[in-house]
Amino acid sequence: MNKIFAYLMAVFVLAFAAMPVHAAVEIGQPAPEISAKDTNGNDFKLSDHKGKIVVLEWTNHHCPFVIKHYSTKNMQNVQAKAKEQGVEWVTIVSSAAGKQGNVTAEEANTIVTEQGATISAKILDESGEIGKLYDAKTTPHMFVIDTEGNVAYAGAIDDKSSPNPATIEGADNYVLNAIASLQAGETVKTTQTQPYGCAVKY
Amino acid sequence: MKNLFLSLLFFCVLMLSPASYAQQSENHVKIRLLAEHASVKGGEEIWIGTEQMIDPHWHTYWKNPGDSGTATQIKWDMPDDFLISDIQWPTPQKIQYGPLLNYGYEQQVILLQKLTLPKDLPRGKITLTADVEVLVCKEECIPEYGTYTLILNGENAANEENSAYLEAARQLLPIHNDWPLFFDVDEQNFSLKITIPAHLRSHIQLDSVKYFPADWGTLANAEKPTATMNGEQLILTQMRGQRPIEKLESLTGVLQFAANTSDSQSESTYNINIKATPSWMESPAGAVISEVMQVMEYPEQGELNFFKALILAILGGMILNLMPCVFPVLSIKALSLVKIAAKSPKLAKAHGLSYTAGVIASFVLIAAILITLRAGGAQLGWGFQLQNPIIITLLGYLLFVIGLNLMGFFEFSSRFNNVGGGLAQKDGLTGSFFTGVLATLVAAPCTAPLMAGAIGFALIQSPFIALVIFSALGLGLALPYLALSFMPNLQARMPKPGAWMSVFKQILAFPMFIAALWMFWILAQQVDVTSASAALLGAILITIALWLLKFSNLKSSKKFILRILAITLIVISTAFIPLTFPSKPSLHDKYMVIKGFGDTFSQSALDKALEGDDPIFTEMTAAWCITCKVNHKIAINIDSTKALFAEHNVRYLIGDWTNEDPEITKYLQKHGRNGVPLYVFYGSRDDVTKQRPAPKLLPQVLTPTIIKKIVEDKP
Repeated sequence: MNKIFAYLMAVFVLAFAAMPVHAAVEIGQPAPEISAKDTNGNDFKLSDHKGKIVVLEWTNHHCPFVIKHYSTKNMQNVQAKAKEQGVEWVTIVSSAAGKQGNVTAEEANTIVTEQGATISAKILDESGEIGKLYDAKTTPHMFVIDTEGNVAYAGAIDDKSSPNPATIEGADNYVLNAIASLQAGETVKTTQTQPYGCAVKY
Repeated sequence: MKNLFLSLLFFCVLMLSPASYAQQSENHVKIRLLAEHASVKGGEEIWIGTEQMIDPHWHTYWKNPGDSGTATQIKWDMPDDFLISDIQWPTPQKIQYGPLLNYGYEQQVILLQKLTLPKDLPRGKITLTADVEVLVCKEECIPEYGTYTLILNGENAANEENSAYLEAARQLLPIHNDWPLFFDVDEQNFSLKITIPAHLRSHIQLDSVKYFPADWGTLANAEKPTATMNGEQLILTQMRGQRPIEKLESLTGVLQFAANTSDSQSESTYNINIKATPSWMESPAGAVISEVMQVMEYPEQGELNFFKALILAILGGMILNLMPCVFPVLSIKALSLVKIAAKSPKLAKAHGLSYTAGVIASFVLIAAILITLRAGGAQLGWGFQLQNPIIITLLGYLLFVIGLNLMGFFEFSSRFNNVGGGLAQKDGLTGSFFTGVLATLVAAPCTAPLMAGAIGFALIQSPFIALVIFSALGLGLALPYLALSFMPNLQARMPKPGAWMSVFKQILAFPMFIAALWMFWILAQQVDVTSASAALLGAILITIALWLLKFSNLKSSKKFILRILAITLIVISTAFIPLTFPSKPSLHDKYMVIKGFGDTFSQSALDKALEGDDPIFTEMTAAWCITCKVNHKIAINIDSTKALFAEHNVRYLIGDWTNEDPEITKYLQKHGRNGVPLYVFYGSRDDVTKQRPAPKLLPQVLTPTIIKKIVEDKP
């Protein structure tokens, strides 16, 4: 009896296994296309930026982990360094309506100005569509896309998974490392890490 | 159920603990540092708990927080010679948030750490501080920081006693075990394959199986797992995470499942620390050996060298002759030898030699089968033959038929002396050879003293050495008869054959019947009463068949019909054997009901008991092991020993090896044994050093005094 049950289960599992895996990001594979309007009303299409390195940053300005990186100007510094190297930086807010971090386009732009962030575009993803496409889990959750449009890095911003601002100093920044390796034409050493932070408020 | 009880205990103790919370009230997590006891001595090891009381609907995180969040961090500020262990994390729960899933804690959690104090502890009050960083989330997340102090040997140290509370917390930690584990990944799925001990297999509730990965990115955390049982393996499958786990050499985590226990009324939740190796790697699963077990090395095991093992084997074999099942067969043979020797001393020697050959050959055969099966990965030990109900049934029939023969119910006619016991009756040299085989067969249920050590040694050696030791065992068994056949002096001392012999034979029939009854009783233990009754019916059919064959003075045509009928009956009796296949993998529980004293042994139960302070007595037994039964009856299950155990708080664990159980086989091996009985006593933890003395093995023949001595002998 148990055996029959086990076989049935096995059939089930196989049947499910045959179904396509849910949308996800794979290192070295093309990054899922993003096609949206940014907070300034401009069209943003990821594939238009081939030839440039693109960084995606999931954010939620009320999240203590995001606050850790912005209040210490760490995120702004990283953005500035990236910009110097010609990197496009896109921040994405996937907070659903009524959830923490959900903002209007106007509020979003005010936040960018107040933070002094140097970014190329900010996208509001209230439906969570882009977030789920990338399987974005935390704020911050970082993705680095190479000039070919392939995902080169996905995960945490650095190796200090603490909300404590004191941990910024001495942290190893995975995003900067990835950009540096890509610029130098080397393979990215750390391609995947566990993202840390608040849950994306889908 | 047990968990519920523990949680209740937890909260009860909490109500009683006097300390107050020196915390700002707006924090969502209130933190306290607790020492097992605040009055400490140099060199001591104590448990320290960081208690989090979490506001309703909020949660904090496990070491792998899952899709988001971050684990609690505790940074101690203490002198260099104070040692603090890593955090021991209780099993978390799954906390779902939209499409994301976290591993964490709600309401309350105690993170345990072991603190080792320096040998020369400074005098007076000791203040230790810890910076605790907790991320607490509901929908939003708030990091909370605080510095907390723990005071040891302070003014009120003597009154600060949290050992019961922290003990309750320790009960919530996942336990260690060494079940073989593998993991596998394909494009879509991650799967974990765990070999489950026999006594749990059919009791696991498959919908309760959960895996908490300590390594990030191995699972799509929010996906539902599926669990199936495939033979002895539990297979858990869940959608894999994004991380390329193909490169990992091992994975750790906690496996959780609920299983019905003994009376299948109550249910226990098992939380097990696991370390899995990829199934594509050659080496077997890396066993996580608990901290406690590592401390316990067994010097006894290594001390046995080849020579000693050989001597033990021979002595053990000799003692086997006195076992109730062997003795009747042998004494008849010995008496007939005298008759032969009177005619021809030379022939007597030849009989002695062929008997010895028969014994040794069967021992080597059994050993060879055992070694081969073990090489194939089966966890078997001495007596494994008796774990098979078919063999038990056949042995029962055999012993019964020998009994009938001894009783004089029938004589083996020359026509039928090629069957079973008939061979042993044969006067020729082949007869002696098969008496040897028979002696080995009937000796199988008995493990004589000294034998176990030798077999245990043999099975961890190369096959060749193992075979030599088994041969020595056989030689030991054959030795008395061999000696008799070679020494006219001894023969002279044997009673003269005469009419008394037929009475003696009849007397010896009774132990045979009892031995047969014993086999059928084992069958009832192994399978159920129905199969034992079927086997008894089979025995009656055989009796009828033998009875039919007695009408030898009939005409040949009628004789022929009777023979056909007899053979049919015998065939029918063997047809009952398939009925004796076990329908349940384990009967520990049944056995427990009969016994009604002590708890069921499992490695996890032992590990748990070892974490406590009380002494532990383990007994490994089997229904087919007469030595075990006798020991249990005369030395353990008696009022004085029960009182002794109660007085000294001895935890008494019984492992039933009636059916094959890899966990018990492993335990036996660990103690250098390969068969039952095995008795181990673990002394209580020393009050000062908090260490347990090395466990002691008890002799294989027990008396109440032996147990009393070992229990009362405080280190």
